[in-house]
Amino acid sequence: MNEKQKAYSTILRSLPPTDARTEVLFRQAGDGFLQVEYGYEQRLYVPDSFRILAIDAQVKEKKIEGLIETVPGLRTNMFHFDSTVLDIDKLIDEIAECEEQLNSLEEMVIPSRLIKLPVAFEDTETKKAVEKYLQLIRADAPNCENGYNLEYIAQCNGVTVQEAKEKFMETEWFNSGCGFWPGGGFFWPLDPRCALVVPKYNPPRTWTPEGAVGLGGPCAFTYTTPTGGGYQLMGRTIPTFQFAMKHPQFADTPFLYRNADRIKFYEVSEKEVLDIYEHVHDKTDYQYDIEDGQIIVKDYIDWLNSDEIKAETDRFNAKRTAGLAKAPKL
Amino acid sequence: MLRIIQGGVQAVVEDWPGRLGYLGAGMAPAGAMDNVALELGNLLVGNEPGEAGIEIAVGMFSARFEADTVIAVTGADLKPTINGREIPMWESIKVKEGDKLKFGTYGEKGFRAYLTAAGGVDVPVYLGSKSTCLFGGYGGFEGRPLKTDDVIKFGELKEPEDKLVGRKVKADRIPEYSNEIELRLIPGMNAYPDFVTEEGMDYLFSARHKFSVNSNRSACRLDPLPDYFFAREDGGAGGSHPSNIIDHAYNMRGAINVTGNTPSLLTADGPTLGGFMCCGNVINADLWKIGQAAPDRDCAKFVLSTLEEAIEARKAQREWLSMDSILV
Repeated sequence: MNEKQKAYSTILRSLPPTDARTEVLFRQAGDGFLQVEYGYEQRLYVPDSFRILAIDAQVKEKKIEGLIETVPGLRTNMFHFDSTVLDIDKLIDEIAECEEQLNSLEEMVIPSRLIKLPVAFEDTETKKAVEKYLQLIRADAPNCENGYNLEYIAQCNGVTVQEAKEKFMETEWFNSGCGFWPGGGFFWPLDPRCALVVPKYNPPRTWTPEGAVGLGGPCAFTYTTPTGGGYQLMGRTIPTFQFAMKHPQFADTPFLYRNADRIKFYEVSEKEVLDIYEHVHDKTDYQYDIEDGQIIVKDYIDWLNSDEIKAETDRFNAKRTAGLAKAPKL
Repeated sequence: MLRIIQGGVQAVVEDWPGRLGYLGAGMAPAGAMDNVALELGNLLVGNEPGEAGIEIAVGMFSARFEADTVIAVTGADLKPTINGREIPMWESIKVKEGDKLKFGTYGEKGFRAYLTAAGGVDVPVYLGSKSTCLFGGYGGFEGRPLKTDDVIKFGELKEPEDKLVGRKVKADRIPEYSNEIELRLIPGMNAYPDFVTEEGMDYLFSARHKFSVNSNRSACRLDPLPDYFFAREDGGAGGSHPSNIIDHAYNMRGAINVTGNTPSLLTADGPTLGGFMCCGNVINADLWKIGQAAPDRDCAKFVLSTLEEAIEARKAQREWLSMDSILV
């Protein structure tokens, strides 16, 4: 690399892959941010997130002066720090030390709540968001066939609209960490046979209603308040955030989701969803369906690596690749 | 106390550095878009650093004082008047009960003015900050821009009025605003060589990037990037466009977030996490300049910077935003 190329480069340090993990890349991200990324390859492998959450907890226990906060994601963790107090090399040393000490994930048991959420597919509110997008942002958007995104989602995955909905509801989704918008969680399919993948809007929307359920890349998101966004829309779920903290579920925090929660969706009518809005925000007597549980990491990894699951995943991946090849680019 | 007559285009209560520590809950820091103007204003009226003021974008804001106090107007020249008479900017002035403060609109340079008052703005501190996050609708004054008949209370004066009136920012410490806004930028986390080509990086640092009309406190959209900017064919498992990535936290504030071919500077109220690459981060000490960029008028010019330079610039800014810059 010549001098200019060096100045443009962003990887400050890396740790080689081991039996227990892929390589770890430390990327500069400004004078207050360091991104730790797992692997060069953009892989969707939920156990990476298990590891990130474990390392995250260990680094935080060190109470490093100048570290403001961390923002874990599926395969990255962002460290936000005050660079006038904390030297970036010292921060990398501290994280690397935790990395070297965590050898195996096999003994881990992750406490993980299961939250069941109703969803109304292709409801009136999210349809309005698509309509608005076509009017104001991109009239010829190929992802809005029949005024909605479901056809496009199905097309990209080589399945029918009905099959796309079923896959969406069949898997449990793992929350790798919150972000984007107040209280928003990022959910990954624990069942790789259900991993729908879609490109995001190009350019993004300027408005999405509260409760919209979207897919972007392989990730699901429920919009907590009205906002912009780039995820393909599937439908609408119930409130997952309440700023006013009136409903007992939100008495201690305005957020519903916690890191490592599992989410499962089930289909209901639009009327039922609207009814629940009233019972959450006005009458405050809706009972959320949340149960405590856990993920036994060894069992999950064994299941993931079993011949049957691998074969079925490969079959679906082949379908999806064929579907994506035919789908229009955004 | 201040009674709003007209909120204008956008007047919001903001402090500095905003609400830090909640990115992981999806909460942007919010805070002043131009912390330099806010902090110089705070120094003029004797407030603690970081105290909240009223951020006025574009102008057309008017209000009546319901008690005597000391104020300062800093930032862009939005032609402020009191009772119809022009008032000086970048200095502390006394106002009387019944005085009417009125702003015109922005001219050729700058975009946001700041009104600071002795004692600061008395709004509830929510999660450690008085800042309004507009897009989340929380913090500041009821989580929204100010409108007619809102009454803003100010805190107690910590020094006698006479000691506060007539302070001025030294002439060489008043920031200069430009239509070509130079922003020092550190590449990353998604830059050369795996996400952006060398030619793409050259383009980033040589082109003028115009601020689009679609700019607000969350994000300032810039002109589209050429296809050769991207080093990847597609976004892999993140999606089909090379700007797609498996969702990750953004280096927010100051990130250049690339969605499709469109780059946006993520600012105060921006998203904290998402599925698009971020090719650079405007150094903390230059964030204020973004707050003075007018949509559809000004351009950004990115200047390659380093971590060392950025840390020095942070320290230099601390000195700038101190009483050394004020004539008492």
